Amino acid sequence: MIDYLHDGSFEGFLTCVFLHYYEEPAAGIYAGKVYQPSLLHAWRLVKTDQEKAERVYDAISQKISMSALRRCYHLHLSDSSDRYNVAFHYLVMGFRLGPRVGSLHGDPIVHEAQRLARKVSFEAHRLTGLVRFSVIAGDLGQEAEEILYARLEPDHDVLELLGDHFADRFRNAPFLLHDVKRKKALIARNGEWIIMTMKDEEIPAVGADEKEYRRLWKVYYDSIAIKERTNPSCQKRMMPVRYWKHLTELTELPEDE
Amino acid sequence: MNRLEKLRILAEGAKYDASCSTSGVERKNVGRMGNASCAGICHSWSADGRCISLLKVLMTNRCVYDCEYCVNRRTSDVERASFEPEELAELAMEFYRRNYIEGLFLSAAVEGSPDRTSERMCRCLSLLRNEHGFAGYIHAKIIPGTSTELIHRIGLLADRISVNVELPSQKSLGTLAPQKTPAGIFLPMRQITDTLADRRKIGGTVETGVSRKKETFAPAGQTTQMIIGASPETDRQIVKLSEGLYDRYRIKRVYFSAYIPVHQSPLLPSPLTEPPLMREHRLYQADWLLRFYGFTADEILDEGNPYLDPYLDPKIAWAIRHPERFPVEINKAPLEELLRIPGVGTLSARRIVRQRRYAAVHYDDLKKIGVVVKRARHFILCCGRYYGDGTQEPEPLRQLLLQAGTGAKSQSPINDELQISMFQPLAMRGNTG
Repeated sequence: MIDYLHDGSFEGFLTCVFLHYYEEPAAGIYAGKVYQPSLLHAWRLVKTDQEKAERVYDAISQKISMSALRRCYHLHLSDSSDRYNVAFHYLVMGFRLGPRVGSLHGDPIVHEAQRLARKVSFEAHRLTGLVRFSVIAGDLGQEAEEILYARLEPDHDVLELLGDHFADRFRNAPFLLHDVKRKKALIARNGEWIIMTMKDEEIPAVGADEKEYRRLWKVYYDSIAIKERTNPSCQKRMMPVRYWKHLTELTELPEDE
Repeated sequence: MNRLEKLRILAEGAKYDASCSTSGVERKNVGRMGNASCAGICHSWSADGRCISLLKVLMTNRCVYDCEYCVNRRTSDVERASFEPEELAELAMEFYRRNYIEGLFLSAAVEGSPDRTSERMCRCLSLLRNEHGFAGYIHAKIIPGTSTELIHRIGLLADRISVNVELPSQKSLGTLAPQKTPAGIFLPMRQITDTLADRRKIGGTVETGVSRKKETFAPAGQTTQMIIGASPETDRQIVKLSEGLYDRYRIKRVYFSAYIPVHQSPLLPSPLTEPPLMREHRLYQADWLLRFYGFTADEILDEGNPYLDPYLDPKIAWAIRHPERFPVEINKAPLEELLRIPGVGTLSARRIVRQRRYAAVHYDDLKKIGVVVKRARHFILCCGRYYGDGTQEPEPLRQLLLQAGTGAKSQSPINDELQISMFQPLAMRGNTG
């Protein structure tokens, strides 16, 4: 029994699963960065092997199911420190039982995998609504043009799950989703998107037009509430406070210079 | 008057409309900007806890009608404003590209005549769809008395259309909204139902091989709304009416809006009355039983019990009245019976059915499956064993459930999120259901 440590990529994780079956059984699988060495098991740093990863990838989709594969990928995006172990145990069970593993909702391993994966996909869904763009003058292309810029700090690494939705919606408007916490960004134009690293650089000051629309939105937000029904606990349950700092309607307008 | 003032006034005028859902239509970006997601997307939640997904405004709040319950009635002393179609279309686009909203919810007071107002609404929607290439969500309100031709044009532009029933009986409508007639409301509703049926959007089966028409009419169907607590109807009348609307008009959803006193009138509850939020909440629960749990209105409320129990969920109340139906064996009962167990929702009922194809469902599994065990345990057998407190007698059981804190929980607001979860793919389902 050995603890496998990988480079934090999905392929790295899959390589570890491969080694579990073909070399030494795994006690646990971890991203190397967060690993706390244990006295119980030896550990081994695993080099990501594309070919091995692909074999596991195909095996999951063929012997278990596409939804199991998707679930593992969502677990990979989760911020839980135990995510790779949860996915690993789910896969071991899946290879033993086949597609029906997804139906055993009462099993602790299955339940934990489904619960954690659901948190990831739910946050992605939630953010399709909670992302707020600002229209700024950008220099993504040759000529100056407007781009839509949004800052977010999701709990889980869901940036890429937002790509298709917004790239379709804003097919003709270039946009940039900036995950400030993970220092990366999703950049899209003409319906296509890529992920790049991005430091927290100076963002151009917003123009008068942008401020005007933010003001209009804030006025709308305040006017639409029925004061006889005020219910802050419900509001916070549906829209947790940790998301508020990037919401136009709940932050102050920037000062005029 | 500037845009800011107009927006404030016309949002204030629209806020009593309960509907804000954006579900029911899946569409890729077929224009220049926008798409629609079948699951619906909420963009924010206002201080009252209701979700905001659409820019919900009135075209105008200048009104020739004098409906007693309405904040915009002719004799009401409120500021008045109207949007220009161009102005509103531009505002909606600017909000949309900042991802503030999922689309537009356009309603209106009656300025001049129903047709004159609808014409302006239609113009605004047409600008959005055709000039701005907007492919996002549009919900349009049909004003009672609008001509059939205009209704049709609006239906071709909008995803969802709605005619408000407003009051739960003809008598109350006559008293409180004398200028609105039942015919003015139900004829447009019938027209919409028939158009939808005709286009095989609802009912019947789609014939294969027949090429679909290019133009789509209100693909997300029609909804309606009624005000609760402004008039003397019982819960039973309201639930019966809802059931009739679902059956006869294929309404997608009936919304309820707790009446919030707007002025002193001998015809209305006193302005000091609290809005009946708990009643509204219980009616929504009853509505869910109609739509997703296979209940009929007569099962939920009968002649002898015309009002819903304010302290108990109507599903629990039904179960307590029917001890002969319980306990239900989790591992054997068909889906329809599982759905009738208090504490078992549509999602958990389906999970039970899925799991038991391969493995027995044990009592300890129920919580993981999503069943509210403290409620369900009195009504189930799990692998032949009973986990309740030994009574099926209505009154002791009622007391037990009340003590367990399962009935009179804090008042929930209108919750579109719950509706959304019904249509979401499994991976999307969040903390609801």
